[in-house]
Amino acid sequence: MKIYGSIVSRASRNAWAAEETGTDYEVVPLDFRKAEHKAPAFLAINPAGKMPALVDGDVVMSESLAINLYIAQTYGKGSLWPAGAKDQARCLQWSMWAGAELEPVAYGRLREVLFKKESERDQSVLDDLAEKAKPLVELIAQALKSGQFLCGGAFTVADLNASCVVEYLVRSGFELSPWPAVDAWYKACTARPGYQKVQDMRAAAIKAAA
Amino acid sequence: MITLYGKAASRASRNLWVLEELGLEYKHVPYDHNKGETKNPAYMAINPAAKIPALTDGDVAMTESLGMNLYLAQTYGAGKLWPADALGQAKCIQWTLWSATELEPPAVGRLMQLFMTPEDKRDMNQVQVFAERTKRTLDTLNIALSKSPFLAGNAFTVADINVAAVAEYLVRTKFDLSPWPAVQKWLTACLERPANQKVMQMKVAA
Ligand SMILES: N[C@@H](CCC(=O)N[C@@H](CS)C(=O)NCC(=O)O)C(=O)O
Ligand SMILES: N[C@@H](CCC(=O)N[C@@H](CS)C(=O)NCC(=O)O)C(=O)O
Repeated sequence: MKIYGSIVSRASRNAWAAEETGTDYEVVPLDFRKAEHKAPAFLAINPAGKMPALVDGDVVMSESLAINLYIAQTYGKGSLWPAGAKDQARCLQWSMWAGAELEPVAYGRLREVLFKKESERDQSVLDDLAEKAKPLVELIAQALKSGQFLCGGAFTVADLNASCVVEYLVRSGFELSPWPAVDAWYKACTARPGYQKVQDMRAAAIKAAA
Repeated sequence: MITLYGKAASRASRNLWVLEELGLEYKHVPYDHNKGETKNPAYMAINPAAKIPALTDGDVAMTESLGMNLYLAQTYGAGKLWPADALGQAKCIQWTLWSATELEPPAVGRLMQLFMTPEDKRDMNQVQVFAERTKRTLDTLNIALSKSPFLAGNAFTVADINVAAVAEYLVRTKFDLSPWPAVQKWLTACLERPANQKVMQMKVAA
């Protein structure tokens, strides 16, 4: 399995999923600054010129959260992909929710913080998005009433796909502490060895680029 | 027994399309969120966000229109909306997420500005930004549809429904699709399918 993309990009989500399933994988780094994601070699894999993309045998695909569903359904039986229709449906639901509902809000905040100097940031944009984030975080809190994770007792791709987007909120300075269950859930997700390993890979890549 | 919540003239139409396409038996509860019909405790136990659509099927209870379509296709659509090959299946999942994260934001954003915002409050600058983003998504779609007639290969699948149901917003807002002929041809063929025609009639009738 080859994951194309810089490890500081959304490709980190897929490396995390691969780690969780114990599948052999290789990250093929693409350098943003050299526009390697717009070069013909990568456009042949993803014509949209966006990272990440996955190549696994004859499977070629893009969309980070979809790649995680593929990894879960293909290699994650007994780990990321739960048994039973009820929990599998939840994995689909939370993955779509992460992309459709949470990411626009969370990424909106992260973009404001990541790509602008403190003096240039528009606080009203950040505040507005924080208001929009609250009912979304509240939904996670509701779901966690029936267990530590989104499908109950065990960590699944639902948690991975939701928490990797919640990460954007946290990185943008959004406080989870008013929702203790969500806060505990997020800490449990990000304490996992797979996540930690990918964080180390990210830190090493950032250091090497500096 | 499958129960679908949400009036036809909402994102529930996406699910009606799949249900009709698969010829499944289902109960339709046409809740209208604008009339507060979703804010009852029984429904909010299924969807605490009180949005439509939602679906129940045995012990399955879920939200997210495009995710519900993946569930229906994976559960009931083998050999029909859900392809047998790993690549086709991966493409169905990919295009579903693509539709939600890349196509829907600019397509809905434009629709909201043009149809739901009074003219004096309309931000034509935003409309233009959404149009530019839409063009880039159409480029991507056109490349895919120049290689194969449908998004997951040679057969019509849930990938086509999940993208076409969102691209339909562009038709409604009279976005000129002629620079993307493969998209235009494919979208017309998808929307003309009898199952979608039936859903269109349900929208008008309600
Ligand atoms: N919805 C896509 C978004 C992919 C995306 O925007 N990737 C960024 C990096 S994280 C990128 O490649 N941007 C370059 C560009 O848009 O030209 C996904 O989740 O994979
Ligand atoms: N991402 C969700 C969006 C659902 C959604 O926003 N539904 C609208 C009607 S089409 C709604 O219920 N809005 C009421 C509200 O936002 O409170 C999906 O695809 O199902």
